[in-house]
Amino acid sequence: MKEQDSIPTSKTQRSAKFVKTGFKVGGNYIKHYSKKLFNPELSKDELNLDNATDIYTSLSELKGSALKVAQMLSMDKNILPKAYVDQFSLSQYNAPPLSGPLIVRTFTKYFGKTPSQIFDEFNIKSTNAASIGQVHQAVLNGKKLAVKIQYPGVGDSISSDLKMVKPFAFRLLGMSQKELEVYMSEVEDRLLEETDYDLEIKRSIEFSEACKNIPNLVFPTYFPDLSSKRIITMEWLDGMHMKEFLKTNPTQEIRNQVGQALWDFYNFQQHELRAVHADPHPGNFLITPDGKLGVIDFGCIKEMPSDFYNPFFSLTSTDMLQDKAKTIVAFRELEMIRADDNASQIEFFYQVYKEMIELFAQPYMSKTFNFSEKGYFDKLYNYGERIAKMPEFKQARGVKHFIYVNRTNFGLYNMLNELGATVKTDTWKPHVNLAS
Amino acid sequence: MAKKKSLISAEELQNAYVDYVLTQGQMPKSVYVFAKENGMSEEEFYTHFGSFEGIEQSIWTDLCQKALTEVENQEIWSQYSSREKALAFFYALIELLKSKRSFVLYSLKQSGPKIGSPSVLKGVKTIFESFATGIINQGLEQGELADRKFFTSKYKDALWMQFGFILNFWAKDSSAGFEKTDEAIEKGVNVTFDLFEKSALDSILDYGKFMMNNGGMKQNMKF
Repeated sequence: MKEQDSIPTSKTQRSAKFVKTGFKVGGNYIKHYSKKLFNPELSKDELNLDNATDIYTSLSELKGSALKVAQMLSMDKNILPKAYVDQFSLSQYNAPPLSGPLIVRTFTKYFGKTPSQIFDEFNIKSTNAASIGQVHQAVLNGKKLAVKIQYPGVGDSISSDLKMVKPFAFRLLGMSQKELEVYMSEVEDRLLEETDYDLEIKRSIEFSEACKNIPNLVFPTYFPDLSSKRIITMEWLDGMHMKEFLKTNPTQEIRNQVGQALWDFYNFQQHELRAVHADPHPGNFLITPDGKLGVIDFGCIKEMPSDFYNPFFSLTSTDMLQDKAKTIVAFRELEMIRADDNASQIEFFYQVYKEMIELFAQPYMSKTFNFSEKGYFDKLYNYGERIAKMPEFKQARGVKHFIYVNRTNFGLYNMLNELGATVKTDTWKPHVNLAS
Repeated sequence: MAKKKSLISAEELQNAYVDYVLTQGQMPKSVYVFAKENGMSEEEFYTHFGSFEGIEQSIWTDLCQKALTEVENQEIWSQYSSREKALAFFYALIELLKSKRSFVLYSLKQSGPKIGSPSVLKGVKTIFESFATGIINQGLEQGELADRKFFTSKYKDALWMQFGFILNFWAKDSSAGFEKTDEAIEKGVNVTFDLFEKSALDSILDYGKFMMNNGGMKQNMKF
């Protein structure tokens, strides 16, 4: 594969990329409809696949936040047609790498030494792309290390990137600019945090320390003195990403073990730390040869303030939903029902959101839950599709925290579904007033 | 063969000169005055340099040579493609220039906006061109770059223009850690090398040539 030697960083350059993609997507539509003239049977799948490929190609050349947004879009299988999802999943790992001299340059800039002066061995070809950086393998004192290097100028270009992703997002998600604005600033904040490697290493150490007692969960050791604003050095974890792992036909027992570790990891964070690793896409995890779950990226952390945590988890884990008045109060706190809604709107949103919370909370309702159950996910996707078609939801709803909390939970459920795991769901319980 | 060993080394002389121009903002009045101030005879000065411009040229060539030595000593150097070698050189050069930024700015300003390259860069140009020729030949041999009649010999000039562009960009760069210059290097060098590489244009020219020579075929192929 030809290496990509620069990120198009200036705004005009990036715009040009998007414009190009726009043309291509337009072209795909023309291609589709001209084919359809002769073959009315033609399904939209091929068109969607063409579009997804072009958008992916464009996004992966852009790197940085655009790729991140692609990753986020790929999390919500219920929103995007299948073809988009398949292509966007590619962006979860293996984007084209940057040039060798720039890597050496980054090292000399922050450590005054080249990688080969610091490490006993350093592989200049990256093993993985990490969307705003890339990962290299290194060896020091006989220890295998993973070195994550950030592309220069990423932080600068995030805001201008998001501005350009917006029109795409509108088209893909069918939302208007005004609705998306609320969430874009939240996304921007998280993305900017993700470019802060000093913060990431601090959090990685804190979180792996806090979660160290969870069974079957492993974290790499971090090396703060070999890390900097643009570089993070950690122990190399041997293991497979989920897709490869599943190809090895693991036993149900191992699947459950990995799934349980994943479940415990998330619920421990939500309820004990009130801050959660908000990037549960398969690229951030490895499954070790002994069936443990390795967590390798703490770039994106979503903190849950009490004014979100309390109403949200009271809804999901108490019998509050049985009490309509209390439920509506909680919905108001979470801005799912707004002050200017009229009586019929209140009733409508009450019904729709009640169904959503019930669906979301279903795994918590019994002691164990089988995530391989297709029926449950069909219900989730159907719900998502119905919502997407409702004109009432053409407007944005819910506090901004939902964007990352939903992403986290759907990501978690999706991964458990792919694993086909059955997990004990009562391991870490929410701390809300259970007496209602 | 000097009877009296020079008390001052060439490097010390360079440093004294840099100190002088940066504190005074101009060249010393004469070699005599400068030599006297540094406790040596005019003759001694001339054993090292022929003129003040000679000193400036030598500072530049030293920087350039040092950058080259530095990258060539990197373990990875032999694995680099010619494109990567060019990138690595520019990164190393810009890093070295940082330590002498004030002098570099002074020197570029003194030589003024001339057509072509400033005379202080004369020595640098020689070194750089031999480096550029080396990596271009490597690229041609390994098939990384396209060998084009008439144009191949101009590749090194294009790289020298790139040199001037990067230097000027850096001189005006005010971003933290000169990160913008890093980007300018990455982009500029890539554009230049993209042009050197085999591209659709070569195929079109080749095809055109073929059609010219075999134009008669067109009639024969009709049935």
